[in-house]
Amino acid sequence: MSTATKTGVQRQIAMVLDLNKCLNCQTCTVSCKKLWNQDAGTDYAYWNNVETRPGTGYPKQWSELGGRDAQGKASRGTVPDLDTQYGRAWNFNHELVLLKPKGDRNKPKAWLRPQGGNGEGSRPTWGANWDEDQGTGTYPGDNHYFYLPRLCNHCTHPACLDACPRSAIHKRKEDGIVLVDQDRCHGYRFCAEACPYKKIYYDTQRQVATKCIFCFPRIEEGEAPACARQCPGRLRFVGYADDRDGPIWKLVEKWKVALPLHPEYGLAPNVFYVPPMSPPKLDAQGRPTDQPRIEPAYLESLFGKRVHQALATIEAERAKKKQGKPSELMDLLIAFDWNKSFAIPAQSSKQPSGQQATKK
Amino acid sequence: MTTHKLIAAPTPLQPGGYIKVAYAARSEPLVPSADFDLEQVDDGYRITLRWKCPKPVSDASTDTNLWVDAAAVLAPGVPGAPWITMGAEDLPVQGALWRADRKEVTRIHAEGLGSVERQAAPEGWQVSAEWNKGQWRVTFELQSWPALAQHGQIALAVWRGEAQDRGGLKSISQGWIGL
Repeated sequence: MSTATKTGVQRQIAMVLDLNKCLNCQTCTVSCKKLWNQDAGTDYAYWNNVETRPGTGYPKQWSELGGRDAQGKASRGTVPDLDTQYGRAWNFNHELVLLKPKGDRNKPKAWLRPQGGNGEGSRPTWGANWDEDQGTGTYPGDNHYFYLPRLCNHCTHPACLDACPRSAIHKRKEDGIVLVDQDRCHGYRFCAEACPYKKIYYDTQRQVATKCIFCFPRIEEGEAPACARQCPGRLRFVGYADDRDGPIWKLVEKWKVALPLHPEYGLAPNVFYVPPMSPPKLDAQGRPTDQPRIEPAYLESLFGKRVHQALATIEAERAKKKQGKPSELMDLLIAFDWNKSFAIPAQSSKQPSGQQATKK
Repeated sequence: MTTHKLIAAPTPLQPGGYIKVAYAARSEPLVPSADFDLEQVDDGYRITLRWKCPKPVSDASTDTNLWVDAAAVLAPGVPGAPWITMGAEDLPVQGALWRADRKEVTRIHAEGLGSVERQAAPEGWQVSAEWNKGQWRVTFELQSWPALAQHGQIALAVWRGEAQDRGGLKSISQGWIGL
């Protein structure tokens, strides 16, 4: 891969997510959170999240928080606010619901309720999935939404790495995974400011940056990251970008249906998305029109101009399949053979080159 | 106490591509001056810094976008070590760092921007701080500091947390101050 040689990375691990299959079940979010990210100072942080689109996202309006401009140049960013943009972790009335006093069996249980992040009696005013399933449009004519799972893009040219004055962030040579050396990190958060995807978090207790590690210990063993392996919708594909027999090269390079998010930032993400197809809008009589519900301009704002050709390719291949003709693309996307979704040979060396240190 | 004019640490010198672009406008110090006093006490020093800080920040653990106030004093480790870049390769500097969220002083060692190592302070190094009427007063009690004794030069740095000062975003003395 040409970008790999420029950056000193020997191979680049990558992921493709087919947005036509995401259920918003948040299994990816939970599997990641449970595996890696339960520290007290990061209870608000989701290395992987799934957001409803069109919508505000997580953190709120993240694409407007700076770091890179539309021409791909560095621009002053902001670190999202815990209360108003990330959303403080909610407390729940677990004791009331689960620890009923003895002899109270016949009384109805209380409903599980969030209590906000500020203790008893407070109500949440914002959270990671606040506008879930809200979407846009008017029923029944053009209402719509889709789901966008997000994680660190392990960019070829990471803005976070460029921003760290302490060289505490590096890209592993063997697979291009971007990691924070938490022993070097002084918690300045220039990385969080500079990442336009806002996928660097700050551990408020340990005072260091934290981020998705692409489950590198699993990758080293030839296992897919937890978010991908646990996905019930089987929408995630993982492999090396230059593996011509693997799913990434086929979806990104051969079929050109998998696109990076916000390519205009110029960071060359290594997480790609198969854009969502749309049912048609309905006219005033409730008849299908030839207009897709998801505005093409909206998809272009997320995935760039190539999104139109990508959707046309998927449409054409789907039509072929409907006619009983073979389609490599459709067979891959529906995960007809799930074993082909992951092509991750175990790394020969088991010594990782610079782990995300655990400074506990 | 003598008053020393401070300058903004120059952001164009900062490592990496982001800070020098994003903070290009930061050419003025956010703390324009600091009062400074140094007393020799036995073999050590009592160093006092005082500066205006209308909104002190002493705790950054409650939010993601808070930074604490801080101050540091620096001495060359060898003759010719530059203060503005916190030393350079083979030209180390040494110092003492106070952060408003810590009671203990931290020893620092650096050989250029981005190379700062924080170390536990030697026994006999202490710091105390008080914020009163819009001013911080920080006193370092350093029982022994051979670098300062040997080279007789000191530099100052102050970070205003409320203005998002951290790392290379700081107000610093205009050069080494001779004792």
